[in-house]
Parts: sequence; C-alpha cells; structure tokens
Amino acid sequence: MSTIERVSQWSHRIFNTTATEQNVRRSSNPFAKSNFQKNVLTADVLELSTKKNVSFTGGITQGTKRIYSTFVGSINDFGRRFYEGIESIKEFGIRMKNGIVGAWNKVCEIGNTEIHLGEGLKNGYNAVKNVLTTDVGQLFRTREKQIAAMAKLDPHTQVKPMLSDAIKALEEEITKAA
Amino acid sequence: MNTTVKTSKNLERVSDIIDSLTINPNHDAISVLEEIGTNSAIDEVREMTARALVQRNEADSLSIVISSKGKGINDMSTVVAMSTINSLLSLEDKEGAMRILENTISNEGIEEDVRENARSVKALMALS
Repeated sequence: MSTIERVSQWSHRIFNTTATEQNVRRSSNPFAKSNFQKNVLTADVLELSTKKNVSFTGGITQGTKRIYSTFVGSINDFGRRFYEGIESIKEFGIRMKNGIVGAWNKVCEIGNTEIHLGEGLKNGYNAVKNVLTTDVGQLFRTREKQIAAMAKLDPHTQVKPMLSDAIKALEEEITKAA
Repeated sequence: MNTTVKTSKNLERVSDIIDSLTINPNHDAISVLEEIGTNSAIDEVREMTARALVQRNEADSLSIVISSKGKGINDMSTVVAMSTINSLLSLEDKEGAMRILENTISNEGIEEDVRENARSVKALMALS
C-alpha cells in the first residue's frame, strides 16, 4: 500500500462517517463529537488508541502535508471560531452587565425622582393643609373690627387727620417708587 | 396725577379709613370724603372715595359724585368715572340716585357736560 493510499484511508477514517464509526474505538479523543466544518471526527487523530501498522516508509509527501494542513487548519479555525465565540459571549456578558447596571441606575434614578415627587406632594399637601386649617376669617374679622372701631370716631376731629396722613404716606410711597 | 398703585400697606390703610367713613353714621363723614378723598391726586383714592359716597346713598353724597364737575361720574379718569357709574348701577335702592340725576339734568345752572353725563347715566340706570 502506498503512502497516499494509507493517508487516504486514514483521512477517510478521520472525516467520516457513520459507516466506519461503529467499528472505531474512541476513548481518548475529547473532540470526538465536535463538529469541524460539518465533519464528524470519528477517530483519535492525536493518538490512535489502537496501534495501526501504518508506516510512512515513503516519507511525508506533498499530498500528506496538504491533508495534514487541512486537518490542522480546521482545528485552528475551530479554535479561532471558539475564541470568537468566547469573545462574543464575553462581550454579550459585558453588554448585559452594563445594561443591568444602567437599568439599575435608571431604576434608582426613577426611585429617587418618585421619592422627591412624593416629598413635594407631601410638602404641598402640608402647605394646603396649613392654609386650610388656618382661620383666614379671623384675619378679615380683625380688619373688620378695626374699620368698625374707626367708624365710631368723629369724622372731622379724628378720622380726617388719619386719612390725610395715610394719603400723604401713600403719595410718598408712589414718589419713591417712581 | 395719573398713578397706578399696587397693593401696599399704605393703600390698605387708606382703604380701611374710607370704608370706616362709608359706614360712619355721622353725616360729617361725607364732607371729609369730599374734602380729602375726591381731591386726592391718586386715582385709586378718588375711585374708592366715589364708591364710598355712592354706597352711603344719601342726597349729599350722591350730589357730589353726580353733579360736581371733575368728581365721580365726571372725573377726568375714565376708570374713576366708570367705577362710579358701576357703583350707581349696583345700588339696590336707585330712587335717590335717579332723583339726583333728574335734578342735575334739569338744572340749567350746571355745565352742559355734567348734565350730559347725568343724562347718559340715567338712561343706563333706567335700563338696568
């Protein structure tokens, strides 16, 4: 059997197939069920568990090198894709983390806003309550009492000077404001 | 003086004194209002005084705001004149005011402008 034929058989065993899968003992290959470019590894490609009498008497040819490079390339490609997958998962995790942190901050912000709004409403409610509970009528009654008291005074001798002084003070206020 | 006074302690004080003169049973309150209030340079004071004289609803007080030139409905300030007319229209008992208006219209010794204003206000009060 030539070297090419032996490699071809080996390659056939590596990249196939359900036909020979049952007859192959796989024990030490951790990637036995991994998918390499839609090819199912069915053999221990790193070290055969069952020693085969394969001898490369003819040396490694260019075709063998090509086959090896295809296989190794597929492994390298798998590693790259695996790395990219890990990276994408890592980025996804970072995005999730950032999203969760952002969402948490937003929740805290909304929570704080609601708290402030609640405090504002509470203050407003207290202010309205204070106004409503204040006896506003008492203020008017006090003024009415003062007016009623002045109405009993003599217009010429008592009220007239008061009115003159009040109007004079008002005129001075207007002059200052102007 | 064409002035506009915003709410202040001094204005409140003037308002309170004029209100006391409005309800003062002493007839001399009318002369105080005429002497001090209607001759004030401040529009708001003249407006409050004219309103007080109308609210007293006495012949002497109504004569001041209806028949006197430059006072009440004859005030140079449109705001004061309109406020006085509004107070006259708001009176529950308009009989005294109508009598003063008729006397003013029929009195040839009073200036024509004053009589013309009285005629217009009388027409308004008749319709109200």
